Amino acid sequence: MKKYILIISTLFICQTAFAQSAQDEAFKAYSENGKLKFDSKRGHVLWTKKHPDKEDKDRQCSTCHTKDLTQKGKHAKTGKVIEPMAPSVNKDRYTKLKKINKWFKRNCKWTLGRECTNQEKGDILKYLTQQ
Amino acid sequence: MPNKIINKVVIWDLPTRVFHWLLLASYLLAWITYADNRFLYFHVFVGYIFFGLLIFRLAWGFIGTHYAQFRSFAQDWSSVTEYLKGLINGKAMRYIGHNPIGGYAIFAMLLLGFIISISGLLTLAGEEGHGPLQGMVNYSVGIASHSIHEILAWVMLLLTIVHVLGVIVESIWHKENLVWAMLSGQKEAAAGTSSIQGHHLLALSISMVVIIVTPIYFNGYLKETADKLYQPYKGPVLPDNASWRENCSECHIAFHPSLLPARSWQKIFNTQHQHFEDDLDLDDETITELLKFHLDNAAEKELTEAARKILYYTPENVTPIRITKTIYWEKKHKDIDEAYWKHDKIKIKGNCDACHLDAKEGTYEDSDMRLPELE
Repeated sequence: MKKYILIISTLFICQTAFAQSAQDEAFKAYSENGKLKFDSKRGHVLWTKKHPDKEDKDRQCSTCHTKDLTQKGKHAKTGKVIEPMAPSVNKDRYTKLKKINKWFKRNCKWTLGRECTNQEKGDILKYLTQQ
Repeated sequence: MPNKIINKVVIWDLPTRVFHWLLLASYLLAWITYADNRFLYFHVFVGYIFFGLLIFRLAWGFIGTHYAQFRSFAQDWSSVTEYLKGLINGKAMRYIGHNPIGGYAIFAMLLLGFIISISGLLTLAGEEGHGPLQGMVNYSVGIASHSIHEILAWVMLLLTIVHVLGVIVESIWHKENLVWAMLSGQKEAAAGTSSIQGHHLLALSISMVVIIVTPIYFNGYLKETADKLYQPYKGPVLPDNASWRENCSECHIAFHPSLLPARSWQKIFNTQHQHFEDDLDLDDETITELLKFHLDNAAEKELTEAARKILYYTPENVTPIRITKTIYWEKKHKDIDEAYWKHDKIKIKGNCDACHLDAKEGTYEDSDMRLPELE
């Protein structure tokens, strides 16, 4: 039994460490050699900022992910359930740099109609990781 | 046959009567359930009952009681012509058992019943890959059997109508209720005609077999739970790929490659930067792996019935990029009420798993389909 507790807690620590390193790497990359500083308040504003699409319907991050990040979201088109964004309830979030970059790219293009700037990405990530 | 009617005797033994009405019931249920794929498992069940009853009747035709025996209603040609003449003159003879024409009609129906049963089993094996003959016949045999099954079912319906008309005409003609005779077994007969043996125990056994096998066959439905609905037919295990499962199920369910032709997948992956409204932006390594998996298992491989049909109905110069825009898909879903498409669980037509219990496996078995409850 003790052995399992040890293994499980080690796994948790590892995961947190991984998450930390993935996030650190992301922030480092977005900071453009330390030039940019990130702020979760700005990230929060961006999260709910409205962007009209071609049909003049508003798109925002929270369209799919909801405003309460501890809740499950829903894909705007397909209705597919999206796991919560807040790492406090979803430990898997922001543990892989590749995924962080992939989703920023794909979802910024859908929501804003363009890729996000490093400043925007850093701010949003700051906001998200604090939830 | 003497004309003086004296007493009531039992003509139809109980097993024959039970056979008759159970055959009718299974036959009608088969008609009711044939058109809707969702009822395939039920249709096949009543088919088994139908077939089993016919096998019993075949044996009973040799070892049964007098009027149930084939030799008693396979009459010679002169009786047939005489009966026909009588029919035309309006003075048809009364027979206690089957009349000569009726007797041959019964032979025709029994024969048709057997061919319908066997062609049904061949269809089930060839087209669906199920049933006792699965693996023994290929798809084209299945298709051919399906045509035979359908055509003969119609012929049998025609014969059934003739049979019922005959019963009505004779009942009026001879002022006796032949339907009641098949229920009670009794008919009025001349003196000296004796009742046949009832064979009640055999009839009870036949009924018991039907009563016992029914819950066994449908056992899975009795044990299903709301989150694990019963899938009566398990499709083949299709080729799988971890990258496909992971990448393609992020925004929608992972549609199995077998659901579109290879050229469609080629187009979809070539246009990954405009994947409907998203830019997938998958790296080269992922794209290469996914494309290979999709091309290797595209509809052309005919891994499932759905794959074959989607391919068959798609014109060669058309490259669909939505499964729900293929001709076969539209054909199969055209009767679904608009209200279902607006259902919370469905929302878009691509949410196959809202109704198809095996959508994630990609097999799309006929019976593994449930429409959600409408509010």
